[in-house]
Amino acid sequence: MDVDAVHAAWLSRRSFLKAVGLLSAAVAWPGGCGRLLLPAATARAVTTFFTDAERATLEALVDRILPPDADPGAKALGAATYVERLLTAFDGSPPALYAGGPYSDRNPFPDNSNGTPSTRFPLNAFATPLAPSPLQELYWRAQLFGDQAAGLPAYLTAQRGGTLRGLRDIYREGLATVDAVAQAQKGAPFAQLSTADQDALLDVFDTPAVFPVDPVRGHSFLDQVIAHAIEGCFSAPEYGGNAGGSGWRMLGIEGDDQPLGFSIFSLATQSYVERPDHPMSTANPDELGPGGALVPKPLSADGDAIQQSISDQTAILEKFLPGACF
Amino acid sequence: MGRPRPNPTQDVLGNQALARFDVCIVGSGAGGATAAHVLTAAGKNVLVLEAGDNPYPRLDDPAQQSPASLHSNDELKYAVRNYLQPFGLFEPRTFRADDTTDGQPLDDVNHLPKAVGGAFQHADCKTPRFNEIDFRLKSAIEALIGATPGLAVPGFGNDAASANFADWPISYEDLEPFYAEAESLYGVQGANPDDNPFASWRSKPYPMPPGVPMYIGLLIAAGAQQTLLDGGPLHPHTYPAAINSRFYDGRPPCVDCGLCSGFGCPNDAKASPALVALRKALLTNRCQLRYNAQAIALQNDGGSVRSVLYRDRDGLLWNATADAYVLAASAIESARIVLLSFTPSGDVLGNASDQVGRNLMFHLQTLVNGFMPQRVHGQRGRAVTTGLSDFRGVEPGGEAFRVVTVKGAPRIFPGGIVEFAASQGLSITDDGYVMAFSLPKGTGRRYGLGLKNAMRDGALSQHLISMTMQAEDAPQLTNRVDLDPTVRDVFGLPVPRITYSQHQYELDARLHYIPVMKQILKNAGAQRVFLAPCGALLGNPPDSRHVMGTLRMGSDPATSVVNADGRFHGVDNLYACDGSVFPTSSGWNPTLTIIASALRIAHGMAGTSRPP
Repeated sequence: MDVDAVHAAWLSRRSFLKAVGLLSAAVAWPGGCGRLLLPAATARAVTTFFTDAERATLEALVDRILPPDADPGAKALGAATYVERLLTAFDGSPPALYAGGPYSDRNPFPDNSNGTPSTRFPLNAFATPLAPSPLQELYWRAQLFGDQAAGLPAYLTAQRGGTLRGLRDIYREGLATVDAVAQAQKGAPFAQLSTADQDALLDVFDTPAVFPVDPVRGHSFLDQVIAHAIEGCFSAPEYGGNAGGSGWRMLGIEGDDQPLGFSIFSLATQSYVERPDHPMSTANPDELGPGGALVPKPLSADGDAIQQSISDQTAILEKFLPGACF
Repeated sequence: MGRPRPNPTQDVLGNQALARFDVCIVGSGAGGATAAHVLTAAGKNVLVLEAGDNPYPRLDDPAQQSPASLHSNDELKYAVRNYLQPFGLFEPRTFRADDTTDGQPLDDVNHLPKAVGGAFQHADCKTPRFNEIDFRLKSAIEALIGATPGLAVPGFGNDAASANFADWPISYEDLEPFYAEAESLYGVQGANPDDNPFASWRSKPYPMPPGVPMYIGLLIAAGAQQTLLDGGPLHPHTYPAAINSRFYDGRPPCVDCGLCSGFGCPNDAKASPALVALRKALLTNRCQLRYNAQAIALQNDGGSVRSVLYRDRDGLLWNATADAYVLAASAIESARIVLLSFTPSGDVLGNASDQVGRNLMFHLQTLVNGFMPQRVHGQRGRAVTTGLSDFRGVEPGGEAFRVVTVKGAPRIFPGGIVEFAASQGLSITDDGYVMAFSLPKGTGRRYGLGLKNAMRDGALSQHLISMTMQAEDAPQLTNRVDLDPTVRDVFGLPVPRITYSQHQYELDARLHYIPVMKQILKNAGAQRVFLAPCGALLGNPPDSRHVMGTLRMGSDPATSVVNADGRFHGVDNLYACDGSVFPTSSGWNPTLTIIASALRIAHGMAGTSRPP
């Protein structure tokens, strides 16, 4: 029994499925993904998507989302490169969407004979993107190029309230709007304005009149840039940003830490050894005072406000929605 | 099989020359991979169909040593770009609280990862056993009500019609040898002797001792030890987990890399079902794995399954044939496959009593959080190392419920185990996204130095600590999976429609324990202690990834779908061996019980009914 016969037999016997429209859409994979869409293997080219002007606008924008101070801002951390790497992911093969595994080359192997770090380092598997699955490839093509260009069946986005516009178009148009608003309100392209003017404009961009919420994506262009700025600064450097891991250092976190990790098993003693500089079961050394007393570093006013706002809002929910939340 | 597949080596591992199969298993997670191991070890030829992709490209290579996966410490890959998780746009589900409204299509309705190895590889692999009393919970509570004047329990006695409790058709004693086999096969670390007084008896010790406890676990345990429940002390304990603390079964010890819950394990220390069970099956040469193979429906004659219709990576449809079939696609997806499988007379296969998809259960998660003044570095560890089982509401040993007096009346409060946890130090998703998007404008930090300052503080990712109670969900006939009449997935199939609301049974336990949970965190030194909003109580899908029920196991075909052997009533060659068969949900993480149950069912199919 070949596929067509299976399908025909299925069709003839499955009135329910026919009624709900299964079979009309089930015959072939949307867009023939997998065989038809895979480009021939190519060396990864240095690709650019943005014009110089667009890139300058994007760099200026992300640099006000996470601005430079004593620590680098999002521009220096490479957030714009992260965005461009995503938007051009399909220029290479395999597409640069998922970094490889298991290890980068940033941490040594453990020496399990005695529970110490060894001097051997793995090759950087993060540097080679993974081949996406058929669904992953189709999904990211739709994300970048839009549902129609990717060949998504129309019902998929229609049942979610519209069509999926591609991020490449969204960025191109969004950055044009940024500069148009800057020109109209401040008299120059966004990148040429003072940081005070740029900050004032961010509040303008953060209104639905300038950047409305996309009904299928559920967020605005500014939301998208904020998310990408955060991702670019603090994801693995192989994605294009977080230059040299400086984003992680700024946050005081280790970043990817395999294969060493924080607990090293010693075969000699048949027990684990913790790393004194990165302890697992005790407080951080830089928050311990004389005699081992805890001396927490104070939060910034912003961090304090974030915690307090969560505490306040959940208290309101508990008070006014006792049957629902409490 | 009919016409040969055009590219029979693509997306296939194991013995590609196998031409006929004794058993075809749908799903390669904790249930399916475990069954494949038992059946191939007993000499059966097994075909495994996995809907997801394969993160273990050399899983069938005998020379491959750890690490064998493509997993990595990569927040973006898993938490942002869904490396293992289905895309909501492609595979939405619909949700509604009751059957008076249409289901709303949502990106995430208790979705579980789809990949070779299933959802367990993506969890932090916590593996407590159920209690002895869990397998006879209905009769035990009924007897307790009869013996205790004034005791009322929601869902029992006069209120019995509001729920659908049932005893399991097997006892803890029946399952105990398989629990021991599961702990050995998956490599569970735990305290010997068990430091959880509420755990039930065990025939064998844990295979490995516990690894290093997390700072956060020790802090909350210290808080718990200063807190009273019903006038008595609390008993924090080591959390058993299927994570190596030694070199074990060819896999290395865990290094506590931190990206654990929600991530695949880079060095194979976590017991992915792919590594500990499916790999063993593949190496027997009696197993073939086809991945990117989405099972659609079971072709059948009403009393027997003839083939599984599945779709390959190119969208082509194929029939896979075997003598017997096992559903292990997780409770919601296994039910959907059955609901799409029609008999020649047009009925749903195995659904003569209209029980398929009913009694869907999660765990009602009660999440109490607070902020510690110091950084708690949850990025070092394995998500959860310490917990508390006092809130399961049983006497030590787990063979009786604890009766307490509240406002002069006797009560029982069957809640669940509590996990001591924190953020895993995820700066993008636990800090940045929340600060920029989850809080109202004006109170959050959307952009600017405020965002940068709060992120440098790790205001959430380095300071939040949490306790999560996994409270037992009452089974209800009206909580169910069926097929949505209009919304379809990327394959063109009707999506699962979840109809679900909470029962007073679990709400009572939640209300009883919330003040105690808050006190524990305060005693641990936390500030701004708060109760996290509960999705299930705000009209949203439950937050839990513990998905159970839908193909209930029982002796009576009128009230259950499969029998005690896991075989469908009225279908002679179809079995289920995932969380779908659970009659009740208990108050413990379910995966070890899924594995033990799959071992028992597969040994029964293979004729090796007791572990060697």
